[in-house]
Formats: sequence, C-alpha cells, structure tokens
Amino acid sequence: MLDIGIGLSLEENSFLATEEAIRQAKANLNNSGKIDLCLVFNSCDFSAAGVIKGCSALLRDVPIIGASGPAIISDKRIFKHGITVMLLGFPNGAYCRVAATRDISEKNPFNCGKELAEKMLLGFKNIPRNLGLLFFDQQIENGPNFIAGLQENLGKGLPCIGTSLSNQVDHSHSCLYLNDEALNNSCAGILWGGKTSFGVGIKHGWKPLGKPHTVSSAVGNIINSIDNKPAIEIYENYLGYDAAKLSQDLKKLSVSYPIGVFIPGEKDYLLRSVVSIDRRGALVCQGSIPEGSTVRLMISTPETCLDATTQAIKEAQDNLAKSRLGQSNIKNSRFAIVFSSISRYNLLKRNFKKELNLIKNGFGETPFLGIYTSSELAPLTTSSYHGQIYFHNQDFSVLIIEG
Amino acid sequence: MFELNSVLAFIGLLSVIAMVFILLSKDTKIHSFENSINNLQKALDEMDEQAKLVVRTDIELNKAQEELDRKITSLYTLQNLSHFISSTLEEDQIFKKVELSYLAELGFQKALAFLYDQKENRFSLRLSLGYEETEAAGIKAFIDSHKEIYRDLILREKAVSSIASREKPAETKITKEIFGVVSFVFAPILAKEGNSGLLFIGAEKTDTIITEGDEELITILANQLGQALENARLFDKTWQAHQDLEKRVEERTRELSKTLEEVKKLSQRKNDFVSNVSHELRTPLTSIKGYASILLSGKLGALPEEVQKRLDKINKHSDELVQFVNDLLDLSRIQSGKIDLKLAPLNLKSVVDEVADLLAVQFKEKQIEFSSDSPADLPEVIADYSQIKRAFINLVNNSIKYAPQGKIKVSLTRLDKEVRADVQDSGCGIPESAIDKLFTEFYRVDSEMNQEIKGTGLGLAMVKNIVIAHNGKIWVTSKVGLGTTFSFTLPQAY
Repeated sequence: MLDIGIGLSLEENSFLATEEAIRQAKANLNNSGKIDLCLVFNSCDFSAAGVIKGCSALLRDVPIIGASGPAIISDKRIFKHGITVMLLGFPNGAYCRVAATRDISEKNPFNCGKELAEKMLLGFKNIPRNLGLLFFDQQIENGPNFIAGLQENLGKGLPCIGTSLSNQVDHSHSCLYLNDEALNNSCAGILWGGKTSFGVGIKHGWKPLGKPHTVSSAVGNIINSIDNKPAIEIYENYLGYDAAKLSQDLKKLSVSYPIGVFIPGEKDYLLRSVVSIDRRGALVCQGSIPEGSTVRLMISTPETCLDATTQAIKEAQDNLAKSRLGQSNIKNSRFAIVFSSISRYNLLKRNFKKELNLIKNGFGETPFLGIYTSSELAPLTTSSYHGQIYFHNQDFSVLIIEG
Repeated sequence: MFELNSVLAFIGLLSVIAMVFILLSKDTKIHSFENSINNLQKALDEMDEQAKLVVRTDIELNKAQEELDRKITSLYTLQNLSHFISSTLEEDQIFKKVELSYLAELGFQKALAFLYDQKENRFSLRLSLGYEETEAAGIKAFIDSHKEIYRDLILREKAVSSIASREKPAETKITKEIFGVVSFVFAPILAKEGNSGLLFIGAEKTDTIITEGDEELITILANQLGQALENARLFDKTWQAHQDLEKRVEERTRELSKTLEEVKKLSQRKNDFVSNVSHELRTPLTSIKGYASILLSGKLGALPEEVQKRLDKINKHSDELVQFVNDLLDLSRIQSGKIDLKLAPLNLKSVVDEVADLLAVQFKEKQIEFSSDSPADLPEVIADYSQIKRAFINLVNNSIKYAPQGKIKVSLTRLDKEVRADVQDSGCGIPESAIDKLFTEFYRVDSEMNQEIKGTGLGLAMVKNIVIAHNGKIWVTSKVGLGTTFSFTLPQAY
C-alpha cells in the first residue's frame, strides 16, 4: 500500500520552510519511514537554493522532483507564498524513475523528448509502464515535436500528463527540482510503473461561440491569418475593439475569450490563450495551432469553469476505477495531484476559493497537493485516449495515483 | 426499315424530352438546395452577429462585475485597515499600520502621507510605501518648494485625483511625473486636534483606472487616519492629564502620609504623656485617699462633724479622680494596642443580663424602664468578655444619664456574619451637628442639660476603641427629643 505524507510550510525563509514541510510530511507517513519519492511544489518567491538545501539536509538518497509556480494548492488554502511536500513510500512492485532534459530552447525539441524518455526508461526493463508526469519550467516552443520525440521512445500508448509553470505573460520565474539540482529551461519527468493505478481528468469549462473559422496561415504558435484575413480581426469583430485597445487589455481578454481549436473526432475544444499581437495583426498563442484548423472564439462563466473542475475530478475518479479493473481488491491508498491554470485563478477572482472547496469535496479523504500553472499537458479527453497528447491552456487537470 | 427508323427516332425524341424534364427538375432541386444553403449561411451569419452581441454584453458585464468585485475587496480592505489603524493610540504607530499589502488590495502600488505643521509652515513625511528612500526624499523636497499648493489641497477638505486631468492637465502631468505614477488621488487628512495632513495614493500600472469610487475610498481612508490621529492626540492629552493628576495625588498622598505619621507620633506622645501622668497621679491620689480613710476611721481621734463632711468629699472626689485616671490609662492602652484582648466565644445575651443586674439599682433610682431583646438562636461572638461588658456598661450608663424616668432597651440581632447590638434610650437626643464628634475623646455635647450632668468625655471614645479593636463597627442614630440609639457589631464566633 502506498505510504503518503504531506507537509506544508509558510515560513519566510526557504530553507527553514522546506525543512518544516518535510518534517511534517515525515510525521504524516504511516509506516517505517521508507521514502521512495519526494514531490515538491512551492511558490516562485522561494529561493531554489534554499529549497534544494532543505531537501538535501533531510532526504538523503531520496529521488526528488518538483517545481515552483505562481501559487500552490493545499487542502488548507491556496497560497501565493508557501511550500508543500509529498513523501511517498511505494508498495512492493511499484516503481518510478525521475529524470530531466536540459537546455530545451537550444536543442531540437524532438531530440529533447527522446532524450528524456531514454533517461526515464533506464532501469525500467521488464517493468510495465503506466504513466509519465512531466514538468516544464517555461513554455516550450515546439511542444508537439517534443511530445513526438517522447512518444518515439515511450510509445504512443503511454498516457502523459504534465504542466508548464511559467510564460511570457506573467513574467514569473519558475524552476524545476531534480534531486539536488534546481533547473531552468528544462523538462523534468517521472515515469511510473508496476503495480499502481492511475486516473487522469482534464476540463476547462469554455464553450464555443459564433461561427467556425479556418486558420488560413499559421506557424507554430503564431496564427497569421484566419479566413484569409489578419488573425486579429477575429477579436476586432467579436469584441468591437481596435488593435490598440486589444493590445492594452489582451491579458484579461485572452483569459476570458481564448481561441478554441476543433480537434476532429473530439467533443472538447483545445484552448489557446493569446499572449501577444504582432504588428501584422498575427496572434501569438500559448501553444501551437496547426494551419487549416477550425477555430472558434470561446467564452465561459465562473459557473462553467467551476463545473469543469468538478467534471475533471469525476473523470479522474472514473478513469481510476477503470484502470484498476481486474486488479486485486485489496484496499489501496491513493493521492491526487492537481494542476490549475493561473488564468482560471485570474478569471474566478474571489470565486477561486470555491474551486478549492470543489477540489476538497471532490477528493474527500484523498490527500492532494497542487500548483498553479501556465499550461497543462494531457490528452484532450482522458476517457478516450488515442495516443494524442496536447498542451492545453486554462485547464484544470487531475492525476490520481493508487497503489 | 423506315418504320424501324421512325420508331427509333420517336423513342429518341421521347428520351430527349424526358432528359429535359429530369434536368429541369434537378435544376429546381439545386435551386432549392442553394436557397437552403443561403438560408443556413444567413442564419449562421445572424448567429455570428448574435455571438458578437453576446461577447460585447459579456465584456460589459465582466467590467461591471470586476468593478463590483474591486469595490467589495476595497471595502473589505478598508474595513480591515480602519480596524487596524484604530487599534493604536500612538500617533507614530498609526501610519506604520498602513502596509503595502493593504495598498495592493486597494489596487494601488504607491502611497505617501505628510503632516503639515501650520506654526512652522513645514511638511513632515509620515508614510512612504512603494518608494525608495531617495525617491520619497525627492518628492518631499518638491512639496517643500511648493508648500502653498499642497497646503491648499489640505484646506480644500476635498479629494483631488487624476480624473480631473481635463480640468488641470498641466498640474496633473507634473504630479504624475514627480510622484512616478499614472493615476493618483490626494485626500486631506483632517484632524480637529493638532496638525492635519495629506494622503497621496498612486497607481503605476497603466491598466489601473481611477474612478470616483476610488476617490471616495481614499477619502474614507484619509478620514480614518485623521480620526485615528485625533483619537491618539486626545488620548495623549487625557493621558498627560491623568499623569499630572496621578503625580498630584501621589504628592498629596505623600504629604498626607507624612502628616499622618506626625499625627501618629503626636498621638503616641499624647498617650505616653497621659499614661505617665496617670501613673504619677495615681500614687499621690492613693496616698490622699489612704490618709483620708485613716482620718475618717477615727484612729487618730474623733473628728468634728464639719471636718468629717469635708473628708467625705475628699474621699469621694478622690474615687472619681482615680476612676478618671483609670479610664484615661485604659483608653491610652487600647489606642496604643498595649492591651491584650482575651478573645473567646461569648454569649452577648448573658453579658447584657449581667450589665442589667449591675445597674439595676441605678434604674430604680432614676425610675428607668430597662428591657432587652435577643433571638433564641443568637450566635456567639468572638470578643473579650471584660472589654465588651465595659462597653455595654458605658453605653447603658450614658443612656441612664440622659434618659431619666425614661426607657432603655438593649436589642441583639443576628446578621450575616456578625451580631448587632443596639442600646436605645428615650432620652433628649443628640443634635445632628454633634453626632460626628461624639466618639472623640473629651468631647461633650454643648447643651444646657450637659452643664448639669457630670462626665469626662472618655466613655464613648473608649467604647469606640473597644469595638474597633474587635474588628467591629460602631455608629449612632439620634433625634432630638425622641432619643438615641448606639449600635455596634461584633464578628460571629463561627
């Protein structure tokens, strides 16, 4: 049975806070204290060196993985300053391996993905792989290529979930943790395998509005034209704003009205937030958009957003139930990791507490921790995974692990 | 052959006609489809137009919601901040309570507060948030060189903000440049007590739009600061007055203590003097009384009648003098605590009965009707038998003197933790002006009746000292012409 211990600290000093959180997590472990993995999430204002020092002081030879982001999610509250630590002791037959690929922006994304997969697979001979959990400290330029490289080695059948912590809009400085190192411009991942079950859920809560449009020209994450007109016109037409006003209010507008990309065969649209507008009227998005895609303007309300949170948790729980079919009936323990887009926090404003309450009610006794992110990595719908993994914007994603 | 060709030609003609009909029918269908597509396209375009309306309405609603949220958040913040500010009564602490986090919640990044000293025509910086020390000093220097403008902002008693930029664009531009903000509000900090001041709140983010609501909010904050300053100053004033009063009370207490010490010393000296004198008087008195007794016994020869009469008087007066000296000595002992009270449980009813027996002759002589009253369950008191008996004798004797042919009643009453004794007479009563001095040594009420009644003025003083020595209380109630009641309490034994 998985042994799970979670700790939380709001101490000012990064080193002392890390120590306090680890001590709490250790105290919350049930068994003899065998620790197989340490997962760390903290707010960006913490010193990465302090966190690493704190982890190294109390967790020798324990694999450590984690990330810093705009805010952390705990069962107590959402904290813009704080650190949360989860210590895990694995049952017999459950495995994981942590690894990272560095200097992503300077390398070919496909090769980076391949490299990470190779590193994660070391020691995984004859062990069934279950799921990959990936952390990017910043938005990756060619995400689909990275995923392709990753899947080249891991196989398309292996579902992956993950997150990008910061973007050029928020100007926050996130970093990743891998064992005794703090990393930037990197991707760190965990490959889970053996006797563990997983349930993944992802939803956003935005609905399409208006008629479908076609991306007539796009390169990577830049939409040059829609319906053979400058891409900016989609916003000018619907919102009734001129380019100057759009640029001024873009941060708010792109959260409220992102672009929805229609994926053939899928019910949900893939969201893309607009990061900036260039002089030619092209929309620079947070995540790639294929040329020829059908896109629509998306709209939401706090209610649909919150409803998506509930649905994502339910979906993860349903998927977990499916994944453990045929396995032994021994009562296992489980924990959850949640990634919520910082855009949702900004959109929900005072209602963000409601999202936390929904998470708490949804999980019940299941311990959880989470972090606010800039984009999320997951299949479009988790109930029908066909080997396609996408970078999402403004989503709420959940991973439940049981063992 | 011809017929066959004709038939074929006819069939061909029929086929052509049929084809024409089919083509005509298809064309109608195509037209119908085209119409449907056009209708669909039109519906889609209409739907798209509606979507635009929905988006624009949603933007407006979001804006209104945002403004509402901002106001609610601001009001919460203002409420917390007001509570925080009013929690201190130290003027220096008030501005320290305004923290950057509160400012951020109000949607601003910079704040300054100045107090203006009218007498010295000087501004002093009391709060700086979001500015480096040098930046704040630079702004202070600018304000010092434009005192009139900023003094006028206080005197206007009204907030001024960057909303008014259309009215005074030049001034607004200068303010934005000097204070390093894109929008701002100035609000006067008005205090009835002491110096007033100016609160400046600014936003450096371009997307922060100052509204009239913000002006009102900052005005409320400035008023809260003014109120807090006023409270602090009033408190300071009251505290100072309190301190002065305490100092004066302390001084007076010291003086009184000193005087009391002196009085105590004097009283001790008086007691010592009375004690010494009494002792010195008793020796010759004993001799006088002795010699008078010898002479009266006739051992030294028979005395003429006139001499015997005089000697009787000497003897009687000597007895009175000895009694007086003894009373003086006892009083002195009780007052100085030299007397050891033999405290034991005591039944006051039996003491009263004994006193009644002792004074029965006098009651008869003066035709006084004596009675006593006590409940059956009267608890015992803790007291010295001989001293309490003495107190009763003194009080009843006193009543005998002033209530000839009248009534005297001694009542004993059970109280919560004490027993009360009332000695009531139907005598002439005591004037109200004399009541306060009644228990003072040697005090005698100045009345015609008292000229005829003998007394030393020591009896009641002694009773009071006996009762006090027993941790009791004594008081008197009297009405001229109706009588007097002396009451005292003694602690119960259990």
